[in-house]
Amino acid sequence: MSDSRRNSQAWQALLAHGEEMRGKHLSDLFAGDGQRFEDLHRQTGAILFDFSKQRIEIETLDRLLDLARERGLAERINALFAGEAVNSSENRAAMHWALRLPVDNACVVQGEDVALLVHAQLQRMEEIVQQVRAGQWRGATGEVITDVVNIGVGGSDLGPLMVSEALTDWCLPGQSPLSVHFASTMDGSQLSQLLGDLSAHSTLFIISSKSFSTIDTLSNAATARRWLEREVGDCEGLLGCHFLGVSAAADKMTEWGIAPGNQMRLWDWVGGRYSLWSAIGLPVALAIGMPAFRDLLAGAHSMDEHFQQVPFADNLPVLLGMIGIWNTNVLGINAHAILPYDGRLKELPNYFEQLEMESNGKSVSLGGETVDYATCPIVWGNVGPNAQHAFYQLLHQGTEVVTCDFIVPARRYLEPQHNEAAVELVAQHELALANCLAQSRLLALGDAAVEGAEALPLHQRYRGNQPSSTLLLDELTPYSLGALIALYEHKVFVQSVIWDINPFDQWGVEMGKRIAMDTLAYIRGDSDELNNADSSTAGLLARILG
Amino acid sequence: MQLEVYGDTLCALVSATALASAGNQVFLHLPEGNVAQQLAQGDCPFREPGLADLMAEQSQAGRLVLSSLESPPHQQSTVVWLALSPDALELAVQIVAMLPTHRAERWLVVNQSTFPVGTSESLQRALVENTTESETGSAVVSLPDLIIEGNALQSFMRADSWLLGAEQVWAQKQVAELLRPFNRRRDAIMLMGSREAEFTKLAITGMLATRLSYMNDMANLADHLGVDIERIRQGMGADKRIGEAYLYPGCGFGGLSFSRDVMSLASTLQGSGMQAQLLDEVLRINERQKEVLFRKLWRHYGTELRGRRVAIWGVSFKPESSRIDNSPALKLIEALWAQGVEVHVHDPRALQVLGEWAGERDDLVLHDDPYAAAEGADALMLVTEWKAYWSPDLLRLKMSMAHPLLLDGRNVWDPDFIKQSGFTYFGIGRS
Repeated sequence: MSDSRRNSQAWQALLAHGEEMRGKHLSDLFAGDGQRFEDLHRQTGAILFDFSKQRIEIETLDRLLDLARERGLAERINALFAGEAVNSSENRAAMHWALRLPVDNACVVQGEDVALLVHAQLQRMEEIVQQVRAGQWRGATGEVITDVVNIGVGGSDLGPLMVSEALTDWCLPGQSPLSVHFASTMDGSQLSQLLGDLSAHSTLFIISSKSFSTIDTLSNAATARRWLEREVGDCEGLLGCHFLGVSAAADKMTEWGIAPGNQMRLWDWVGGRYSLWSAIGLPVALAIGMPAFRDLLAGAHSMDEHFQQVPFADNLPVLLGMIGIWNTNVLGINAHAILPYDGRLKELPNYFEQLEMESNGKSVSLGGETVDYATCPIVWGNVGPNAQHAFYQLLHQGTEVVTCDFIVPARRYLEPQHNEAAVELVAQHELALANCLAQSRLLALGDAAVEGAEALPLHQRYRGNQPSSTLLLDELTPYSLGALIALYEHKVFVQSVIWDINPFDQWGVEMGKRIAMDTLAYIRGDSDELNNADSSTAGLLARILG
Repeated sequence: MQLEVYGDTLCALVSATALASAGNQVFLHLPEGNVAQQLAQGDCPFREPGLADLMAEQSQAGRLVLSSLESPPHQQSTVVWLALSPDALELAVQIVAMLPTHRAERWLVVNQSTFPVGTSESLQRALVENTTESETGSAVVSLPDLIIEGNALQSFMRADSWLLGAEQVWAQKQVAELLRPFNRRRDAIMLMGSREAEFTKLAITGMLATRLSYMNDMANLADHLGVDIERIRQGMGADKRIGEAYLYPGCGFGGLSFSRDVMSLASTLQGSGMQAQLLDEVLRINERQKEVLFRKLWRHYGTELRGRRVAIWGVSFKPESSRIDNSPALKLIEALWAQGVEVHVHDPRALQVLGEWAGERDDLVLHDDPYAAAEGADALMLVTEWKAYWSPDLLRLKMSMAHPLLLDGRNVWDPDFIKQSGFTYFGIGRS
């Protein structure tokens, strides 16, 4: 079956077009076409998507969209938004989009109004957020909660952490000072640091786990609980005052000791890496307040509508996804860098790593066969200006071809709290903008961007022709960030359709956990033997156990 | 001399009365409000030894004349005496800016109000901008209010010290002349710059606040150590280096003079980024202390307060006042509301302003009778120590409350006696 996929008419036409494009340098493409930017950028709402620095021509778009149509992308988008079981290996829908439906937008899936469920949870969340931000959520001894620690990992950590960092300018003080912290690693690294600094009497924990069985999270939660019991003492209402739970498994939350009133629900039909829009986003809402959190949802919803309604040729997620297909499957590029030119987005590359690689890092088709083409490239990144001092050397002069997404807001430091230092800070933002544009230009054009380059020795020359896209936001706001994240979610879906894989499961992360349990039993002396241990593992264990 | 005194504070009434009693002609300009109303009816709104009698006497003699804010100073007056409340800075500027001009004599403005450091200087600028050539030399001086409540009149008429912040020599002399009748035993006037006088006043207030917050800190430790803070307080007070004043622990202090706006030096040190570190902490401790009764209640009921009913006795920021500015009761009430508690309040004078502050809501009920407030209550909290609360009818309380639980925010009751009467008792640093 996968054989026939690349033999299809649209694939073949695309590959043939790829042959024509081979050898064309971006500097020539720009030199030969003054209209290039006009033709190869699109805009929706607060996001401008410039893909004129990709190694494509207008015809390329036609070929790519033909492929999308041949693969039935429109029908698959409809299936996604109809709540069909697009997550076939687990027989579930993937309705993260429903988490950002407006309140008056009824959405009945299999006889149940999903919007109603979602908004009931948002309402519960809002009550908690208001109580905490008003300085009226109390610890067991009646102290005001001043610190919130989110205990979660993967989707229950990366999303809330990334958005909290990105929207720091919206963390306007509530009536009471409040700091939000994150603890994720199973070795307790962050938690041990936090417990040293915080007062147990005024600390609230959010235990965030879709399954409520993630060992990383539960081990951190247990440590937090013991710490509270030690610091505050045996006190009535300790769990009720200091622990909130967010999970799809209500019974497990109850079993752990989360008070029913402190439980927030999510559902099987939300994947962990798509869940920051739900109560998993509680740390975000605590930091920025509920109105700003609702703006985030509204921004994402605007992208949901765009994705469903706008023709492919102007559809940002479709174009972003299909250009990725071009780079991966036609140009054979296997590395993709995420480069935000805004320090607030420093967690965004981590977040996109999970979103793209856990979703599309697959090699078995929906039909159960091994695919014979490349799927998700290696995705990594860092804040652009810092990465310039780290891995840009490889981008400019290494032997690997890498595609890049530059992400940058046009305007910054307009918020009232920046009043005093605004002039200096705006100047710093201008510096970042200039670097962003200079780097993408040099990567694309190479020596053509440098006057008199021909005279320089080889080691000072730039090959260029590294393709990149630029996503220019008007400003980084809750609304524009929501739209940006949803853009990438849908991009990932578009690519999964072309690659014929399921982006909503993650079987590849399961087995390691199981083997770790056997290994743990051996380390702790609960079992005498580790089955089938290879000599490397056996050797390391021998050293560890002395 | 003829003086125009502005304000309805205790300080205004005491200064006006004392100055009139020395033979001056005094016009007392009162802002609209309770104080003006009571005075118009011939009542004295402050219970201070000798004050009511002396006021009546001076009024009868015609030397103390009540007036409104709007009525202009009299032709012969040359002295304007400001004893306004700490939140009336704008009013002070207005008064100075509106003083009649084109007169033969220059103005002497004596500022006794507690405003941020530097206010007298800005008033001086307002005055200079307003006055014409012939009045050049008009002066604003600072004479901080050092009146001791409970002994207010005496503390003015036989003051231990006067802090006079005045730059111009003629102004210094004229204030000394005004104070001569009250400055006989020895010269108690301490001359300094106006900024220094204002800062001294704030430093004194800050020191008193620090003593209170320190004692509250000690009281919270006493709670954990199982000792009675009242014994500790008496022991400390007996040490002459410390003295007895301002050592009473309680559920926080309020009032405008202690507000962050007034205490903050930021308004005068703007741009320098300087903050008084200890004072910040003192005020922070105080804000926390305002919730101490809430915390005791919270723990007593095992964090389950929803649907309960709590009575509060006293919401004014201090006894004998109808003001609730920064009153501990406000923070306490908000904390109780947030947990779904229905709050029933009695206060002899502050119910009306409390009602205005709260607005219409179901979880606040105001009572004219303290026992009606306590009826069916799961707890009674004493927040402001009005004298009428010191010896309550315990039997009546016990019969009418749903749970006999008393939280004494001012340590005015005797724990043993209360407990013998069948109540659970929590004080501040004692139980």
